[in-house]
Order: sequence, then C-alpha cells, then structure tokens
Amino acid sequence: MSRRPSGNFETSYAQDIAICHTGFQQVVMILFLIALLIIIPLFSSSYILSVFNIIGITIIAAIGLNILTGYAGQINLGQAGFIAVGAYCCAIFTNHLHMSFWLALPLAAIITGLVGTLFALPSLRVKGFYIAVTTLAAHMIIMWLITHGGKVTGGVEGLASTPPQIGDFVFTTEQHYYFIIIGLTVLLTYAAKNLVRTRFGRAIIAVRDNDLAAPFLGINVFRYKVTAFFICAFYAGVAGALMASYYKMITPEYFPMLDSIWYIGYLIVGGAGSIVGTIFGVVFLKLLSQLVMWGGPLLGAIAPIFSAGAVSGLMQFTFGIVIIIFLIFEPRGLWHRWQIMLSSMRIWPFPY
Amino acid sequence: MILQLAVTGLMVGMVYALMALGIVVIYKCSSIFNFSHGAIVAFMCYLAWAFIVQIHLPLWLTFLLLIASAVVLGWIIQVGILRPLIGQPLLASVMVTLALMQVFGGTVTLIWPGPARFYPEIIPSGTLNLGGAAISYESLISLAVCVLAFIAFMYFFQYTKLGLAMRGTAEDHQLARSNGIRVVRMFTLAWIIAILTCSIGGVLVGNMHGVNYEPVSGLAMKALPAVMIGGMESVVGALLGGLLIGIFETIGSGFLDPLVGGGFADVFPYIAMIALIIFKPYGLFGYEKIERV
Repeated sequence: MSRRPSGNFETSYAQDIAICHTGFQQVVMILFLIALLIIIPLFSSSYILSVFNIIGITIIAAIGLNILTGYAGQINLGQAGFIAVGAYCCAIFTNHLHMSFWLALPLAAIITGLVGTLFALPSLRVKGFYIAVTTLAAHMIIMWLITHGGKVTGGVEGLASTPPQIGDFVFTTEQHYYFIIIGLTVLLTYAAKNLVRTRFGRAIIAVRDNDLAAPFLGINVFRYKVTAFFICAFYAGVAGALMASYYKMITPEYFPMLDSIWYIGYLIVGGAGSIVGTIFGVVFLKLLSQLVMWGGPLLGAIAPIFSAGAVSGLMQFTFGIVIIIFLIFEPRGLWHRWQIMLSSMRIWPFPY
Repeated sequence: MILQLAVTGLMVGMVYALMALGIVVIYKCSSIFNFSHGAIVAFMCYLAWAFIVQIHLPLWLTFLLLIASAVVLGWIIQVGILRPLIGQPLLASVMVTLALMQVFGGTVTLIWPGPARFYPEIIPSGTLNLGGAAISYESLISLAVCVLAFIAFMYFFQYTKLGLAMRGTAEDHQLARSNGIRVVRMFTLAWIIAILTCSIGGVLVGNMHGVNYEPVSGLAMKALPAVMIGGMESVVGALLGGLLIGIFETIGSGFLDPLVGGGFADVFPYIAMIALIIFKPYGLFGYEKIERV
C-alpha cells in the first residue's frame, strides 16, 4: 500500500523524482499537513504548542547542520554560535534599526551564512578533526564578540526584539508563532529535501565519501564545502531569527556550547545524511528532555543528595548515555531503523 | 611587567602542556580526538576533593585511589565504549567523546552541584621574588609537578618496553600486531595514561582556581588549541603548544584586555589556532599527511 512490494518501476522522470510515489503516500502526506497546520494549532494547549515551536526551531537548525555534517561530511561543533549570530542580527535589525521582522529574518539568515563562509576558510587546507575544532573555536569567538559587544548586542544583559506584525496584527501568543515557525519548518524541510537531490547535493555527498576522488569527477571540492557551510549557517540564521523573536529577549546564555553538541546528537539519533531522519532525531531527543524535566525533580525527591543539580545534571547524563547507546547499537540512527521496519512491513507476511 | 607575564604564562602553559599530552597520547595510539578531556579533568578534580574532604582519606591513599580510578575508567571507556566503534566513520569517534563529556559533566552536576569547593591548604601560601617577577609557591609546585610528570612520561615512552610498544602502535597498527603487540591493550593503556594526566592536571587546577566544573573544564579545553598548534601527533609539540598558549594567553590578557575589554584571554588562543591552521595546517610538529585515492 505505502510501498510497492516489488520495487519502484517508474515510467517517467516526473514520477521518479516525486516525493510521494503512491496515492496512499499522497493521502497520508496531505492528512499529516492538515493535522500539523490546522488541527494541532487550533485544538492544543499553549504548553503543547510551545513544545512544537521549540521543536520546529530546532529542526530548522538541525537540518542545516545535517546538510553540512551529514551530507558534506564536515563536522560542525559551532552550530549554536551560528544560531546566535542569526538571533542577534534579527534582534539588532528590529530593535536598533526598527526594521520589519519579515525583512530582518532573511537578512539575518544571509549575514549568518556569510559568517559561516568565513569560518569555512580553514577547510581549504584541512579536514576532519581540524574542521571540528575550528568550528568549536568559531563558537567561542562568536560568543565572546556577542558578550563584549557593548550597546550593540547588549552584552550579558541581552537584547529584546520587536514581535513580527502584518498590518495591525501583532504576533504574540504561542499559537501565532506556531504558524510562522511550523510554516517555515515545513518550507525549509521541503527545500532541503530537494536541495540534496540536485547536482549540489550529489556533489557534497561525493565530497563526503571521498574528497580525493571527488575532484576527478569535476567537483570543485573547496567551493562545495564553502557552499555547504553557507547553507548550514543560513538555516542556523533562520532558526536564530525565529528564536530571537519567539523568546522576545535573548542573552548569550541561550547559546551554550552544549547546544552545539546537542545538534550533532540530533543527527546521530535521527540518522546523519537523511533530512527526514533529522526530524526523527529532534523529536525523539526533545521529547526525552521533556521526560527528564518531569523525572528530574522526582529523582531529587527520592534521593535528596541529587536534588540541587537533578534536572540539568540528569539531562546531560541521559543525553550522553543515549548518544553512546545509539553510536554502539544503531549508528545509522532511527531513520535506518524506520526503513528496516517499512521494508519488513512491505514483504509481510513472508520473511524475504 | 613583561617578565612577570612571561613567567606566569610559562606556569599556566605547563599545565596546558600536561593536558595536551593526554590528548596527544590517545590520538597517536587510536586516532581518537578526545573532546571529553576537560570534563574528565573536572571529574578527577572533584573525585580527589571527595576523597580528601568528604571521606577524609589521607593524601597517600587518595593518590593511590586516583591511580586506581584512572585504570578503571580507562578500561571501561576503552573496552565498553570505544572498542565497538572501531571502523566507524569519523563522526562517530568525534561524537562518542563529546557524549562522554556530557556523561562526566552530568555526573559532576548531579553529585556535586552548587558553588565552588576548595582543597585544604597543603602547600603554604606565599610568593617568591625572582628578579622582579613574583611567583606564588602554589604555581611553583604545580610547575615542578608538571615538569616531573613530563619527564616521567617521556622516560616511559623512550626507555621502557611498554613505551616502545605504545610508540609502535602509534606508528602502524598492522606492523605492531605482527610484532606481538596487543594493539587494543595499548589503546586501553593510552586511555589510562591520559586519565592519569587528567588527575594530575585536575588536582593542580583545582588547587589554583577552586574545585568548580565550568572554570576547570574550560581551562582544560584550552589544551585543544595547544594540541592543534603543536601538532596532533607530537609529544614535544604538546609541550611547546601548551607553553605557547600559556604565554599567548597571559600576554593577550596583559596587553590587549585594556584595549578590547576583559576576557580576551579566553578567545585569543582560538584565534591564534585558526590563523595557524590556515597557514600551517598540521601544526608545528604534526605529520604532514599525504593521501592517495
């Protein structure tokens, strides 16, 4: 039903590149979008909507990271720094320059992309661990600049941003933001899904798999690496701008180095090198962290010595353990597990 | 002023060099870059505090227990976590040490939350005047400990049979195996040595700055640029990189802080590192990698 049992035999190019191959898939997709964009925002409490909003923002940044780390193979440990650039750009544009949010968002994303390009320059000479450490350094440098930015960034006190508005309608509640955030998430997921199937996507996959062989296929490795950095930082910029507007007030504490590690964690759990897998990873880990937020105080109540650091400590600890378990037992992520499940369902009830 | 800064830089740099040694030992042996170094340093720092202050153990017993816990931790990490990951892509080996960092960090926050703690005063406080540069006894002792540790590890690598086996493993796994060296056991040994340097570094840093997770692990994270500048495969590079970072940092904070505002010392090593990587990618003493398709 959802998959053809004996494989895909398309007769035209348009059929081959379609995202939904069968009628059943199309129906499911439409029902899913209706539920996501109409039913959930209208009939959910603001707590659930806030969870959705945070997940949406995180998905945008994680998809950008997946294009860079999962597809192009460049490990980026500074995604939180790039998000901070986007957030502060948006806040500065709307607060100091009184720009409209709708103009500030794309501008912030482009500026963040350019900052990402700047830190891609070492990838001309080095790769692997070195890129990981330079992006880590990028995070440190960006956060230092923001903390010491004086009046422009507000230093440790942070910066407020004006809410988006259309005409006289001002976006204020969780529900209002839900439409912006989830709308952009759907749009950018669709864009990324298509982007990795273009010439660009194939090229960065070639760079990831073997960057010595890639030039022999006519791929300019450095150019594609830099472009991948730009796209990654662009997505981070969109996420940052949304974050600045959603939280209304941002401080450097919103962008700890820990977040950069969490972003790589989403890829590991969901499956690096798969756009839909990213969504799996973000949803899984965000729901897990909600669970820890419930469970932390409980642990504190049972064992009082753990009470003071229960939530933050347990969160870090659980995250680390989950990542290690995934790396050892399912290094290709939930997405791979899901594919295995689908294909076993397809041939059910026969074992092969 | 400049003499004072240089001397202070040397003292701090020696601690960085010791931490960098721990990273280099693991990287040389098993090609795993240990991002969790800072967290392990902080964890050992807290562990030593727990032994001395919470359980009231004598110093010699604390010393032995720290060595024992380094052995146990190194074994658990290598055999339980890293051995299943042999042959996995780079992202896995980077992420596993980052996850370890979370586990250690989380454990510390869970068991010892709240403000900084302090070791009882073992070294008498005071300063030594040396031609216009004031040096506290604490940093003098820590310098001595670091130098001693460095000499001990150098001796171990250069003149003992086990050290030779480790160097052989670092050269080439296949050749080492055909000479009867158990490579996986060498990995475990590398982790144990690295965690030993973590314990020494942790106790020294904890003694100077108080037992506190953020500053201690942050300080140890500066071993990353030290390793990068020195070259990832070189023990001499680790020493030199650590000292350079220490001097960069103190001079950076001494001369540039009044110009650009406080805290510049925290990012200066990273800026220096990125600049160096662009011009000399494999550091001062690292191997130039020649790759073929």
